[in-house]
Amino acid sequence: MTEPHPVRALDDTVHQRVRLGILTVLNETPQCTFAALRDQLDLTDGNLNRHLRVLEDAELVQVTKGYEGKRPCTWLKLTRTGRQALRREIAALEALVRRHRAADPNPDA
Amino acid sequence: MEAEQTLAEVARLRDAARARAHGGVWLPAVAVALLLLGSIVLYRDPFGEPSSITAEFPFWAGLADQQRSPAASYAYWFLGVPLVLAATAVWYRWRERHLGVRVAWPVFAAVAGGALLILAVLAAVPEGQPADGIELASGMFWPGLLTPLLPVAAGVVALGVAERSRALLTAGAWIALLAIWLCGSFPLGRVPGGTLSLRPGHYVLLMAVPLIVFAAVRLARTVRVAP
Repeated sequence: MTEPHPVRALDDTVHQRVRLGILTVLNETPQCTFAALRDQLDLTDGNLNRHLRVLEDAELVQVTKGYEGKRPCTWLKLTRTGRQALRREIAALEALVRRHRAADPNPDA
Repeated sequence: MEAEQTLAEVARLRDAARARAHGGVWLPAVAVALLLLGSIVLYRDPFGEPSSITAEFPFWAGLADQQRSPAASYAYWFLGVPLVLAATAVWYRWRERHLGVRVAWPVFAAVAGGALLILAVLAAVPEGQPADGIELASGMFWPGLLTPLLPVAAGVVALGVAERSRALLTAGAWIALLAIWLCGSFPLGRVPGGTLSLRPGHYVLLMAVPLIVFAAVRLARTVRVAP
């Protein structure tokens, strides 16, 4: 029996470029503000909001609204499921690269 | 290939996010190193070779050697450690407000502060006979562990966990190993077949140097990534 193609392990929710970026940044810190994430990924508020809603619905990211002094502030946190999903996605991408290199070991030739 | 490009982009983003999130660790590392270095003045002969040495339990100066004043040593650590923790809290709160990233620094504060509290409680337990140097060397090991250096080492390990830094974990383990070895035998620096001709000041330097090197490297990296 042959191994399933690694492309089948890619998760559509996570694989999207912006969402993969969000999960990658959140994986490096216990919590991060909406503004900091927006600046790091160079996104607009609306764009980031849209992707965060998808990730929140999938329970990959936890959103907490609060205040920093008198200013409203939204804190974002990667959930355990989100961390696992990111790990699986990276593993699938690496497997894909390995498979590609094995099939075509000398692409420049 | 798209997957390769995606992985490269993920790696770039991860490095930038890591530098931003953990770029503030140099300050608590420097603070702990300075606290250690400052403790050198607590010893009567930190670098010199005295004709005789007596060390009183608990080793409030840190290492098993003659201290100037046990009360001053006690005050140094029991004021110094909370001060370092308070400075660390202010630093991380400031970074939270300005950079919008949180670090699990309360773990560092809880472990270092908690371990210091445990040390105070254990040291206050009444004993029958005070242990002397000969008893200590021949197996009465644990009273030597009543040293403020172990709460400091535990704090550095906790900081390593909070900041996801293997280097800090190693630095904390290094301080703990040196403290256990040096406080578990008398005179200082016993090895099979003799005693190393180093004094408490030298050993404290050995404990602090990894932290200073770590802080310098991290600060340089942080400045380079986000000038």
